[in-house]
Amino acid sequence: MTNRRLEQIYPPGVTALDASEAPNIEIRSTSSSLLEGTVSPYDGRSIQFLAYRDGQQIHVWLAGESYVFAAPASATRSRRAGQATSDDIVCPVPGVVIAVHVAVDDTVEVGQDLVVIESMKTEQIVKSPRAGTVQRVSIQEGDRVDRGMRLVVLVPMEKGD
Amino acid sequence: MSVFSKVLVANRGEIAVRVLQTLQAMGISTAVVYSDPDSNAPHVTLADEALALGGSTAEETYLDRRKIIDLALRCNAEAVHPGYGFLSENPDFSRECHEAGLVFIGPAPEIIALLGDKIRSKETAVQAGVPVVPSSSAWQPGESQPDNLSSEIGFPLLVKAAAGGGGRGMRLVQRLQDLEQALESASREAVSSFGDGRVFLERYIPSARHVEFQVLADSVGNTVHLFERECSVQRRYQKVIEETPSTALNPDLRERMATAAVAMAKSSGYTNAGTVEFLVDADTGEYFFLEMNARIQVEHPVTEETLKVDMVELQTRIAAGESLPLSQDDLQPLGHAIECRIYAEDSYANFAPATGHLLAWRPPAGMGIRLDSGVTESQEITAYYDSMLAKLVAWGPNRKESMERMVRALKSFPVLGIATNIPFLLRALAHPDFSSGEYDTGFVSKHDELTAPPETFYLNRAAGDIAERILQTNMIGPTGRGVMPIAEAPDPWHGLPKNVFP
Repeated sequence: MTNRRLEQIYPPGVTALDASEAPNIEIRSTSSSLLEGTVSPYDGRSIQFLAYRDGQQIHVWLAGESYVFAAPASATRSRRAGQATSDDIVCPVPGVVIAVHVAVDDTVEVGQDLVVIESMKTEQIVKSPRAGTVQRVSIQEGDRVDRGMRLVVLVPMEKGD
Repeated sequence: MSVFSKVLVANRGEIAVRVLQTLQAMGISTAVVYSDPDSNAPHVTLADEALALGGSTAEETYLDRRKIIDLALRCNAEAVHPGYGFLSENPDFSRECHEAGLVFIGPAPEIIALLGDKIRSKETAVQAGVPVVPSSSAWQPGESQPDNLSSEIGFPLLVKAAAGGGGRGMRLVQRLQDLEQALESASREAVSSFGDGRVFLERYIPSARHVEFQVLADSVGNTVHLFERECSVQRRYQKVIEETPSTALNPDLRERMATAAVAMAKSSGYTNAGTVEFLVDADTGEYFFLEMNARIQVEHPVTEETLKVDMVELQTRIAAGESLPLSQDDLQPLGHAIECRIYAEDSYANFAPATGHLLAWRPPAGMGIRLDSGVTESQEITAYYDSMLAKLVAWGPNRKESMERMVRALKSFPVLGIATNIPFLLRALAHPDFSSGEYDTGFVSKHDELTAPPETFYLNRAAGDIAERILQTNMIGPTGRGVMPIAEAPDPWHGLPKNVFP
């Protein structure tokens, strides 16, 4: 088993199982950035795959599921200004902010509505995952937002003054 | 001789492509409108003429009635096909088309207004002798809640937009204390989607089947039904999988519901293609009228596949004043058809919409497989419009065979760059409740396993190994769009020679 240099970033929450034998991978054709081939994971069957290298990410389609891998360093170190930390409430979907229900210094409860995002014509309500105090509101009504962007900074109750 | 010399399609995505294909097959010249983000979309490429609306949001493009009518007149179109969504059920648009001398391919404005108002349409159903789900009168923001608003209905209940459709402006409310917030939020969404904030309450029937009947009516008094579509697999009150025939109906119930659907169409004075939606109580076998949709439905292909009719052609001929070329006896369904909607969304994150570039889009093909698609490889999927990318349809001589074809097709449909609901669809089709046909509108929320991340470890392992191999063998594509330029990147590929990067 080789040391994995890549981290699976999609689908979430999956841990790869160590296998004694590495699967047999055959790359059959490449056209610009797409690679096609077959993989024989464990029982002699061969399954088709399609992959795409998009800069620092590698996308793999296999058996109806799509995966995205990236170097762990890029997943952790690419955090720039405006990206999330643990006190941040981040945007779950790309869209437009249509309502902001909290202001700085507001105390919020678990499950309280913080922000409403309209994405693809559907309202998505961002609720507070914990009790806390609003330290900062990073967006306002009408702002266009992306998935993963910080919406609100919430200081948890325990840490509050 | 064709029925119209030129038709403008006032829509985008797969339905615009679908309508254009039929119009072109009928020998009609075609024009489409498009927004800035859609300038390279398939419907633009396919049409004989593409007219820029200018702007990006739905409001400033596909919902701008004035712009669309001006463009239709300027290109000398005789008729406008509205598709579904956008202006398809907007009575003002239908009326303004007539006033401008354009034929609107759909019902008359007063019929759209009547059926678009879910409250008035229910009254029409009652007059036609069709059973309805108990509901309240309308409410809008600023009005106080009448004390009896929810008392007759009870909890849980549904808040619905009076002008609603497509699951927009709909909320399930469990408790009285959540009602006010749900009313406000549903009303806001209704304003944004339909320009009408009125909402009402409706009794929630938990283990219901959503079954609808397609009807066609011409302007000389002929009305037929084209049998049912079962649409109970829904998430966020939007349909995901549809099939015909429905496993919920026996011949007697089918006949009674079909008769009710035709009665509803006749009693509202309906013309063109419409759909009468019912809830069927799986426990009692009772059925209730829900609403009638005055447009072509997203899921019309399953009807087309089992009856071998072209709904868009029939719509166009009816709008041109022709009488229906089919009698009820001519309509004999054959086999079974199923449709899966391919949404750009993350089924592992509560179906959150996904945007980005379609790095790969390789639709399947084969016997009994049909894809109605509005996207193409390398296209950017934006947050401006609906997240449905395409509809995959399978036909087979029976339910088992069409489902097997669908599963094979979904398994050979590579999509990269944007999360889709394909993994979810595969699990739904494989679920025992779905295979047995014993499912209702609670199917998705009842079964968490449909949306849990995959646990087939050997496949995850294989995918990871493929990615490693691509990394090791220095096989690289061009720098992706929207990623950090390599020069600025903090050397994520440690251990690799620098010259692998472009």
